[in-house]
Amino acid sequence: MARRFRFGTRRGGSWRVVYLVVVGVLTSIPVAAAQDGTPTPVAGGTMVVSIASDPGHFNPAITTGFTQHVVADSIFNGLVGLDENLQPVPDLADRWDISEDGTTYTFHLHPGVRWHDGAPFTSADVKFSFEEVLLQYHSRTAAGLTPVLAGIDAPNDLTVVMRFTQPYAPLLQRLDVTEAPIVAKHVYEGTDPTTAEANLEPVGTGPYRFVEYAQGDQVTLERNEDYFKDGLPYLDRVVFRVIPEANSALQALQQGEVDYAWNTTPAQTEILASAEGIATVNAPASPGGALCINTLVFNLEHPPLDRPEVRQAIYHAIDRERMLEQIQFGSGRVATGPISSRMDAFYNPDVATYAYDVDRANALLDGAGLTADADGTRATLVFPHPNTFDRYGEIIREQLGEVGIEVEDVSLDFNAATDRVFVERDFDLGIVSYCNGTDPEIGVRRVYDSRNIRPIPFSNGAAYRNPDVDRLFDEAATTLDPAQRAAAYAEIQAILAEEVPYVWLIETEGLRAFSAEFHDFQHWSGHFAETAWTGAGG
Amino acid sequence: MRHVLTRGGASFAEGARAPARLPRWSVRFLEQPTATAGLALVLTITLGALFASRLVPGDPLVGDGPALQSPSRTHWLGTDELGRDVLAGVLHGARVSLFVGIAVAVISTACGIVVGGLAGLFGGWVDDGMMRFTELVQLLPRFFLAIIIASMFGGSLLNIVLLLGLTFWPSTARLLRAQLLSLREREFVVAARAIGVSAPRLLTRHLLPNALPAIVVNASLQVGGAILVEAGLSFLGLGDKSYVSWGSMLNNAQPFIQLAWWMSVFPGLALLLTVVGVNLVADGVNEATNPRLAGSGRR
Amino acid sequence: MSPHLTRYVLRRLLQAVFLLLGVVVVNFSLIHLAPGDPITLLAGDGGDAAYFAAMRAKYGLDRPIVVQLALYLRGAFQGEFGYSFAYGRPVSDVILARLPPTLLLMGVSLALSTVAGVWLGLVTARRARSALDRSVLVGTLIGYGMPAFWAGQLLVLLFSVRLGWFPVQGMEDARQDYRGLARLVDLLRHLALPVATLSLLHLALITRLTRTGMREELSKDYARTAHAKGLPAGRVATRHALRNAVLPVVTVVGGDVGTLFTGAVLTEIIFAWPGLGRLLYDATLNRDYPLLMGIFLLVGTCVIVANIVTDVVYAWLDPRVRYS
Repeated sequence: MARRFRFGTRRGGSWRVVYLVVVGVLTSIPVAAAQDGTPTPVAGGTMVVSIASDPGHFNPAITTGFTQHVVADSIFNGLVGLDENLQPVPDLADRWDISEDGTTYTFHLHPGVRWHDGAPFTSADVKFSFEEVLLQYHSRTAAGLTPVLAGIDAPNDLTVVMRFTQPYAPLLQRLDVTEAPIVAKHVYEGTDPTTAEANLEPVGTGPYRFVEYAQGDQVTLERNEDYFKDGLPYLDRVVFRVIPEANSALQALQQGEVDYAWNTTPAQTEILASAEGIATVNAPASPGGALCINTLVFNLEHPPLDRPEVRQAIYHAIDRERMLEQIQFGSGRVATGPISSRMDAFYNPDVATYAYDVDRANALLDGAGLTADADGTRATLVFPHPNTFDRYGEIIREQLGEVGIEVEDVSLDFNAATDRVFVERDFDLGIVSYCNGTDPEIGVRRVYDSRNIRPIPFSNGAAYRNPDVDRLFDEAATTLDPAQRAAAYAEIQAILAEEVPYVWLIETEGLRAFSAEFHDFQHWSGHFAETAWTGAGG
Repeated sequence: MRHVLTRGGASFAEGARAPARLPRWSVRFLEQPTATAGLALVLTITLGALFASRLVPGDPLVGDGPALQSPSRTHWLGTDELGRDVLAGVLHGARVSLFVGIAVAVISTACGIVVGGLAGLFGGWVDDGMMRFTELVQLLPRFFLAIIIASMFGGSLLNIVLLLGLTFWPSTARLLRAQLLSLREREFVVAARAIGVSAPRLLTRHLLPNALPAIVVNASLQVGGAILVEAGLSFLGLGDKSYVSWGSMLNNAQPFIQLAWWMSVFPGLALLLTVVGVNLVADGVNEATNPRLAGSGRR
Repeated sequence: MSPHLTRYVLRRLLQAVFLLLGVVVVNFSLIHLAPGDPITLLAGDGGDAAYFAAMRAKYGLDRPIVVQLALYLRGAFQGEFGYSFAYGRPVSDVILARLPPTLLLMGVSLALSTVAGVWLGLVTARRARSALDRSVLVGTLIGYGMPAFWAGQLLVLLFSVRLGWFPVQGMEDARQDYRGLARLVDLLRHLALPVATLSLLHLALITRLTRTGMREELSKDYARTAHAKGLPAGRVATRHALRNAVLPVVTVVGGDVGTLFTGAVLTEIIFAWPGLGRLLYDATLNRDYPLLMGIFLLVGTCVIVANIVTDVVYAWLDPRVRYS
């Protein structure tokens, strides 16, 4: 059996080579090379995309779900897009003005945009989308904008004005197709947007239009010939295939059944690297969340975790380099604090750091009076975690064991684990992938603000209270001056790194694997296929 | 899904015989090469499980070697991605699998005998009530129950055993009931009744001994079935994380199946050999205890 | 059908109604007992207290559980099974869309393993304890003893990745839009590996059941006599013996009908087959209460009906069986 396995892989490899050579010869003709040597996009072709679960519907405005957005975002647009550095670029809005005091944003819409059913797109659609759909059902946008939004006006067909009760800096970072997709007023008016028929026959403005949905199986989209961005998109068809098992997705990619995989795992990095004809990219953002940090949550209400020295000791006892290497297989970075090192404008590297140091950890624990009993155990901590974090659980159990802290490793399904940590609060240690989002106001504040200690998933799970931190977050949110904001966030990061209410383990990235025949993806965005093209003729 | 085999499995062994022929029984069992091979497999795995801590000392959940190393002199079956020894996992995993298999079979057989016995013996409304109760249990969503139990009580091994034991018994009950119903009409029972043998005596002296081989075979088949279901639950991440299990090893090995074949091949093989071994033994017992089968063979 | 049997069936059907009611109540309690919140799925990585409260109110989750159960039962009696949280569509629509792939996969594999198993059982019954008999025993047990998720992976590695005979995943080719015969061929190619994986599960059992039954029947007086008298009578006896011998097979296949719908979770996951097993798995992880209830109700009904049908077929095949 063993021999067959090894043999199988080798044979698979050589087949792939033959296949590639043949395909290469066939495709070398249509791929025209530009003067500077970079290939010019060609139109046509089909792309098969693997996703892990069934989207179920195609209304991106009522959900923050990753799978729904990966599929439906290609059918819709936001007011603005996000570039590779997650900075705003025009989408449905060509340009925008911000009032001096930072409370009024005026968006000038692209003229002549039409919905897939031919109806014209106007500012009324934008107003409707926010008021009737996004602010009701898109949990992140509803939670973020409702407290600060004063109103939305549509003075004419091509102008939208958003008014706020205070200066609101992060707005442009939360208007892309994932955060605030614009849906058609004439389609959804008078319906319940969560159950509307249109959710299964979506009408958007996006680069691809909906063709067909086979539930649990696949979704077929085709090129929107009337797309308002000239020349885009290139692909004729995009087919999303539901492949729940990452390993099956990888094999489908190897066999050429799939061209782009959203659901590969870091553990597959090495096999993907050695596979010919397959390219990989690590993207810091996806429709499921941007700039995510796998974070260990201390329950500060449970002694001895209420003492900073104990938390610092645990920080020192965890070998995060090993996690990066053995769990993430090198994709991502060791984290240093609450704000991702990729958020250039606000990241503060000059904070207290906690290198892997067992002696220091033991010394800190001794200093805190947490002495070992006869079995060598200083404390026992209950660690319920989603079973997607099993590897983290195993390493943390092993490494805290080395400093005399016994970890009771409880693996639950995601929903139960989330409930147990945030609602039941029956835990000592928890683990969460907290995503920064594209601005600290979006995804960082909720984790540390004492006003967000609530029985709500992904809130301030540690129950961390610090009035200074609350005040600094308010300060950063109500000014538009980047320097002033950066200063406030820098101070927050310094305080948090000292007090360690959480252990910031790994800044994760999403591994994307795709056929090397395909080019120019926007891997970080729901619009990943907008500019993609293939040299293989599909 | 796997318990199906055990459900009907016992029907293999329909047959009546007097209980006083144990020596012949064991001789007949050992005469079959498949049965002895199965017994050897089961014994080997049991020994491996018993002496796991002696053979590979240390916590099998803690890595002490380089990650993803192929089989070598220091790590006979290689290591996983956290540097844990696969041999240690396979041997310690045998404990979990055998414990689950045997405990589930015992619990389920006990429950099944009570329910099936009552139904088959009394018939009428008792039978009706018992069988509808059996159906109700069959209708319980075991997979969903596993999640509830794992979530509420932390998916401990004991809870998994209880869950499987308390949902496996309907097959045993149905089987025993069918046996009793059919035995009730057999000549020797009719005759015993005619001469006035009491009901309890009829049960203990005539009915149960005749139904026993079928129950034993069914129980041993349930051992294999339970091992497979536990592996399936562990594969879905619903097992007990405090122990290594073959199912969880196979789950871990998924992404590495093309890169580190040893991570999945050895636990898979161990699981396969155990289930095959247990089933061969069950088959041997069946062949050896069923006189009508014995008569139609070569001898 | 004799009046006797008719009365029996009617009584069983009446009992079935109460049984189903019990199933609904038990499942409803279990589902709501399970830790986890369906709104977590809807909220994703976001949502504040107001959002959670609004959603609970929208789906009636803020009411006492008894009221929720009563409302569910009232709806169910009117054929309304609610809206799936995740799909935003009537539960019946969502389930119906997943039925054909499941029935195709499970039906084909059950039929295949039954035919192959009965044939193997017949062959080995005639040559009991031969080398052939023992090889079939060990061979079918190996198929049974491989966990579906592992066997499936090995089949894919061998037949898809190495030999390239069959596709790795899915039910139809995602690139081509086949029609007519080509579509059937494409479907069969996709069906091959998952069907093989599932058939391995049942083959051992059905082979063994048939073999044992046949040997018992052939050792009976009527069969021996018939064989002794010559071939035509022997053939009749074989046919008669087979009829008795497959009784246990009927029980097993009948017992499988219930699991037909959800019995293949792991196989469906490995092969990306869009069936009900995976729907149940997703609904469980998402705590999609109405969808879970709908699936459990469907499976419950099928198991109950299958049990009744099995008992009736049993009576038809074996005249000695009497139901009171």
